[in-house]
Amino acid sequence: MSGSLRPLVASEWRKVTTTKMLWVLGGIAVIYSCVQVVTLTLVAAGLLAGVPAQGEMLLDPDYITTLLAQASTAATFVLLLGIIAMTGEFRHMTITSTFLAAPRRWQVLVAKMVLYGLLGALIACVTMVFVLIATYASLLPFEHAPITAGAVWSVLVGAVIGMALYAILGVSIGSLITNQVAAIVTALVWMLLIEALVGIAFPAVSSWLPGGALSSAMDVALRADITGGMTAADRLPAWGGVLVLLAYAAVFGAIASRTTLRRDIT
Amino acid sequence: MPPASGPTLQVESLTKVFRRKVAAVQDLSFTVHPGRVTGFLGPNGSGKTTTLRCLLGLVRPTSGRVLIDGSPYADLGQPLSTVGAALEASGFHPGRTARNHLRVVATAGGLPLARADEVLEVVGLTASADRRVVEYSLGMRQRLALATALLGDPGGLVLDEPANGLDPEGIAWLRGYLRERAASGGTVLVSSHVLSEVQQTVDDVVIISEGELVHAGPLSGLSARGRVVLRSPDAVRLQAALTGAPGVTAADQQPDGSVTVTGISAAEAGRIAFAAGCELHELTTEPDALERVFLELTGGAS
Repeated sequence: MSGSLRPLVASEWRKVTTTKMLWVLGGIAVIYSCVQVVTLTLVAAGLLAGVPAQGEMLLDPDYITTLLAQASTAATFVLLLGIIAMTGEFRHMTITSTFLAAPRRWQVLVAKMVLYGLLGALIACVTMVFVLIATYASLLPFEHAPITAGAVWSVLVGAVIGMALYAILGVSIGSLITNQVAAIVTALVWMLLIEALVGIAFPAVSSWLPGGALSSAMDVALRADITGGMTAADRLPAWGGVLVLLAYAAVFGAIASRTTLRRDIT
Repeated sequence: MPPASGPTLQVESLTKVFRRKVAAVQDLSFTVHPGRVTGFLGPNGSGKTTTLRCLLGLVRPTSGRVLIDGSPYADLGQPLSTVGAALEASGFHPGRTARNHLRVVATAGGLPLARADEVLEVVGLTASADRRVVEYSLGMRQRLALATALLGDPGGLVLDEPANGLDPEGIAWLRGYLRERAASGGTVLVSSHVLSEVQQTVDDVVIISEGELVHAGPLSGLSARGRVVLRSPDAVRLQAALTGAPGVTAADQQPDGSVTVTGISAAEAGRIAFAAGCELHELTTEPDALERVFLELTGGAS
C-alpha cells in the first residue's frame, strides 16, 4: 500500500466507527439473516399457520446448507453501507475536509474501497456466527440432518467474498451517484426489481449483472441465489462471478473519478 | 506556534464560470503576503467563496491559476500543514463528536491524534469535545471549523466569514488570535462581507465586486479616501476655493448644504477655508469613511 493511502484507509475506519451507521446496518443484517433461518426452519417443520408440513425436509443435508446460506442474504445491507460511505460525505459536506486532506481525490475512492471491502468480509463473518447459533437453536426441537463443518465453511467463504465485493461495489455506486437518496433508490430498484425481471426473462444475461454475479461468486455455497429465476446452469463459475463484480466496481469507480468526483465542491 | 513564515498565496487571472454561464469570478489577480492579515471583502455573491475554493483545489478554475508558494493545492506535500481552511460551518457529520471529527481529519492528514485535543483547547471547545456536533450552536461550529483548520499547524490560514455566528467575545478573541498568527509570520486570509467587521484586524484588503477586483492594497490606502466635511454659509465660495487646491481629488457640494472634500486632511481643508476667508460652522472627518468607500467600491453606494 502506498504511503499516502494508508492514513486515508485509517481515516475511513475512524469515520465509520464514530457514527451509528455501521452498527445499525450491521445489526439489521444479522437480525434479518437470523429471522430468515428461523422462518425457513418453521416452514420446513410445518409449524407456520396455513403452511402444510414439509415432511422430511429437515432431514435433507441440502436444506441445512440453505439455512446456513441465509448469512449471505445480508449482502444488500452491505451494499447500502458502501453506498452511504461515499454519499454520506456529500450529504453532510464532510467531503470538503476529506478532499482538503487528500486533494488527489481518487485516493479517497481507493481507500474507501479497501476499507469497506474488509468491513464487508467482517460483517459476513459476524453474521455467519449468529446464523450458526440461530440454526442450532431453531433446529433443536426437531429431528434434522447434521450441521457439517464443510457446509459452514463453504457458506462462509462464499459470504466473505460476496459481501466484500458488494461493499466495494456500493462504494463505486455511491461515487457515481453522489446523491444519497438517488443512489440507494437506484440500487434497490435495480436489485429487487430490474434484476429479478431480467432473471426471469433472460436467465443467461442475468449472470452477468451484479446480483447474478454475486450469486455466482457465492456459488461455493450453491444456495445463495437471491435473484430468483436463475438456475445453477445459468451461473458463471465462482471466480467468474468475482471477476464480473470487480469489473463493475472498477468501471464505476473509474467513471466516477473522471466525472462525479472531479466536480466542483461548492 | 506557526512556522516561521507562512506561504504566499497567489491568484493569477482567475476566471470561474459555473454551469449557469455567469462568471462567478472574472480575471481576478491578487497576492496575499505572509506576516499580514488580509481581508477579502465583497458583498454576498461577489465570488469570495468561489475564489477561496479555487485556492484550495475544491473548485476547478475555468482559466487562470491559484498558487500556494508557487504550486497548486493538489501538489502540496502536506496540505493540512501548509494551509488550514475553515470554509463553512456545516461540514460536519451531525452524529460525530467534535473530538472524533478532528481525529478523522488528523488521521487522514497523517497528523498525531493529540493534535485534536490541542486545537480544541486553542478554540475553547475542550469542555464540549465529546458532544455530538448536532448539539452545537452556530458559534461552536465556527470554532470547530477553525480548530479543523489549525490541526496541521499550518503557516497559512484561509477563513471564510469566520465571524458569522460568533458572539462578541468570540469575535474579539478571533481578532487577537489572527493578529498573533500574522505577527509570528503566518499568512492569514479572512473573508467578510462587512468591512467594519474586519477593519480592526486586517493590514491589507482585497475588495471584489461581481467577481472582479475593485481594490487591493493596504487598509491605510482606503482610509485616505475618507472625506472631510465642511459647512459654511458661503458654500459656493468654499467649494471653489477647495477645488483645484493642491492634493484635493474632489470637492463637492452636498444636498444638505455641506461641502465634502477628499484627498486632504481636515487641517489642510481648514487652512484653505481660512485663507479664502470663508466662515466655517463645521469641520469634521467623516466618521464611517471606510464603510462608505467600501460600499462605493462594491457598487452598493446609495
